[in-house]
Amino acid sequence: MTRRFSVLLAACVASGVLIGSSALAASASEVTSATLANGMQVIVWPDRDIPNIALYNWVRVGSRNEAPGITGLAHFFEHMMFNGTSTRQPGEFDSVLEANGARNNASTSDDVTIYQDWLPKAALETVFALEADRLRNLAFEPKVVESERGVVYSERRNSVDDNPSSRLQEQVQAAAFTAHPYGIPTIGWPADIESWKIDDLKEFFQRNYAPNNCTLVLVGDLEPQATIALARKYFEAIPAREGPKPIVTKEPVQAGERRVTLLTDAQTPVVQFAYHGMASADPRAPTLELLMRILADGDASRLHRALVEEQKLAISADGYVQAGFDPGLVWFYLSLPADGDVAAAEKSFDAQIETVRRDGVTKAELARARNQALADFWRGQATIDGKADALGRYAVMKGDYRKLFDAPQAYERVTLDEIKKLAGELLQSAFRTVGVLPVVATAEAKQ
Amino acid sequence: MSARLLLRSLTLSLLLCFAAVPSLVFAAATVQIPKYERIALANGAVLLLMERHDVPLIAFSADLRGGAMTDPVTASGSASLLANLLEKGAGSRDAFAFADAIAAVGGTIAASADTESINVSGSFLNKDRALMIELLADMLQRPRLAREEFDSLRSRQIDFLRAAKDSDLGSLTPIYGAAAVFGEHVYGKSPIGSEAGLAAITHEQLTRYYRDQLGADRLILTIVGDFKTADLKPLVTKAFAGWRKAEQPFSRPAPPTKVTGRRVLLVDAPTSVQSYFWAGNVGVSRAFPQRAPLDVVNTLFGGRFTSLLNSELRIRTGLSYGASSRFDRMLEPGAWELVSFTKTASTIEAIDLALDVVGRLHADIIDATMLDSSKAYVQGQFPLALETSAQWASALGDLEFYGLDRGYIDQRLNALAAVTLEDARKIVQSQFPTADNLTLVVIGNAAAIREGLRKFGPVTEMKLSDPSFAPQGK
Repeated sequence: MTRRFSVLLAACVASGVLIGSSALAASASEVTSATLANGMQVIVWPDRDIPNIALYNWVRVGSRNEAPGITGLAHFFEHMMFNGTSTRQPGEFDSVLEANGARNNASTSDDVTIYQDWLPKAALETVFALEADRLRNLAFEPKVVESERGVVYSERRNSVDDNPSSRLQEQVQAAAFTAHPYGIPTIGWPADIESWKIDDLKEFFQRNYAPNNCTLVLVGDLEPQATIALARKYFEAIPAREGPKPIVTKEPVQAGERRVTLLTDAQTPVVQFAYHGMASADPRAPTLELLMRILADGDASRLHRALVEEQKLAISADGYVQAGFDPGLVWFYLSLPADGDVAAAEKSFDAQIETVRRDGVTKAELARARNQALADFWRGQATIDGKADALGRYAVMKGDYRKLFDAPQAYERVTLDEIKKLAGELLQSAFRTVGVLPVVATAEAKQ
Repeated sequence: MSARLLLRSLTLSLLLCFAAVPSLVFAAATVQIPKYERIALANGAVLLLMERHDVPLIAFSADLRGGAMTDPVTASGSASLLANLLEKGAGSRDAFAFADAIAAVGGTIAASADTESINVSGSFLNKDRALMIELLADMLQRPRLAREEFDSLRSRQIDFLRAAKDSDLGSLTPIYGAAAVFGEHVYGKSPIGSEAGLAAITHEQLTRYYRDQLGADRLILTIVGDFKTADLKPLVTKAFAGWRKAEQPFSRPAPPTKVTGRRVLLVDAPTSVQSYFWAGNVGVSRAFPQRAPLDVVNTLFGGRFTSLLNSELRIRTGLSYGASSRFDRMLEPGAWELVSFTKTASTIEAIDLALDVVGRLHADIIDATMLDSSKAYVQGQFPLALETSAQWASALGDLEFYGLDRGYIDQRLNALAAVTLEDARKIVQSQFPTADNLTLVVIGNAAAIREGLRKFGPVTEMKLSDPSFAPQGK
């Protein structure tokens, strides 16, 4: 869920990271990191192509840290972080930032909340002052909470309620997890959005917005040591706090396919498949990424070729890996033509999955997936924003930003046997939830 | 080229947005066009080559004049369908072999149509530049345009439109809006076609359309990235020097006429829980000389988070997740438009507020603080829009396409710095429509909002499921 102007439907193959080792060796040595006395991690990567800076503050809290009654709170909090402190009026954060030439955004997922600023380098100290102020002095104005509640509900209507495939995805995710909080939709269930109390917010902030629960990543036209010194000046005095409660729940192994049907008024049918997958830090993650590229990345991928081009059962076939601190889901999405045959599309999908489980993939497919990952890596490295995202993702989700620079070796090590073994293990129908959005008459959908 | 809509799959979601108006607070000299070479071939093609060596990638952007505005009246979507068909096999490769060749090296090539052009763009690792040029040249000069690919692509594109009507209503209001404001003018044509228009296109028509509308004299090819110009220039020149010209001459569109008065197009989406609204009129062209004050004013009006529009509809009232405005600037004046959405019950209230903000803009609301903030914002974000090879390819291509001089970029920061309050006031009066001269488009539950909308002007109604973007008979 994002705060500002776009809602990301997490539904493309996670862009990969693969690196030519020579270029990366240089890059790794350019990164400087420090841990402040209060536990906040600061990572700086200079890149002086343009006189700007990308700042990402990764907070380790998401819908995974919620429970019934307060679902959607992490995302709501992402909105509240812009709505005033004891020293600044609601709206002042944005107005000061923009008057200094900077833009911001924020997003929330199952695992993390990310606050982003894109600024001219001259605005760095102003931005640090604003960021530190909201971590330390956040205010909770009742009137502002009510107004922002309306904004969040509008976001939900836009991204979920008026979007049948998103509604289906929400239901599939809820069905796939019986115990683990990954079943909670990040945007929140409607009744909870309407019910949060100010005390819920205060408690959530106190617990989760601890400096020791934050990783600050800066990429751009900066001097590492001076930047870290400035970070100390603004952030180090914020007291460390307890941080989120550990999530101890493990999802029990699924022992049979689950099915979800959504009856709604739509012109085109949708079928979704969600298999239980792995955590982001799982050593098999590079294997899974290459497997997904082979199955569902682009016009040359197996599912697109078979279902869209050859059999014309679908108009699109996509995949996405949701991998967080805990094992997430491996998604496949089929969008069907208006007169599409859901059963036939599902059967054809199953045949493709069985083939890859039985026979694995070809050498040429593995080489292609590696090349796609390599090129995508460089596309990501072309911007300060892409670098800040990658660095933060490795630091927070995989435990160490330096792993970013080890990625080429990890991809090179992936073998044909490993891909076949992984496909055999993960892509079993007993481990999946299938969601179907058939096209039904309006009257039936309304009942 | 104007707003590009991606309807390739349900999962490519998104996104309403603020035309990111680029910019910067310090040294105006920090953004200058790097050195590049312009090559005009005898057949009319223009090649632009710029070296950039930060990452081992090469980006390209091929713009072909024409686009949806050259769609036959009864065949809306011809340019869009042709663009997609170009990807389905060319030269010695059939559709699968063509896709395999790109994917095998991790490249990307995507073709799409816009109101005034077909664009083919992508990127490759530098080591694969010869293959990239070969594929691009084949795609433009020797596309297979196979009948079976045509058939399946046409059906798929119609279904993408249906899928968008299921899940992406906000992205559709500008298409209905352009049709309502521009009417019979070529800028009223949908860049992605319509279900009815696509269904009417025949294979024979489309292959004719290819010969008529694509050719070297329509081409601007911009390549930016990690290469040596001395190496790439002969390769590209050789690949494109032999291409024929388009069989039909390109004719520049006539200037459209502003719409006076207010009227409403209501698009009935009976099960929608929100209303998606758009208000617009004819704006300015790309070559409009007072671009700096125009962008500064539009930014403070509807081009950033703290804009007047977003402040009212989101920050103050919580009625919407977002509200924004933009100018769609083309060879001739395109639309100025504002967009937002709100729950069905607050539709009228939200439109009232949006129109009220337009009224306030005309009531001399801009003060020095607001102006300075907007200038700093546009300046500060400008370098971020010219960071990558792909961004430079697009920007250079635009200069050539619209006949702009390099001052369009080189003098951008100086021009922004020089904007005065008086400039801003003048631009509001001369270029921003007043609230009583706007065409409104609302997609929503007609039964719930029909009566309320009447106060805004005469209401014309159509259904979301209608197979075109204008009421029948138009």
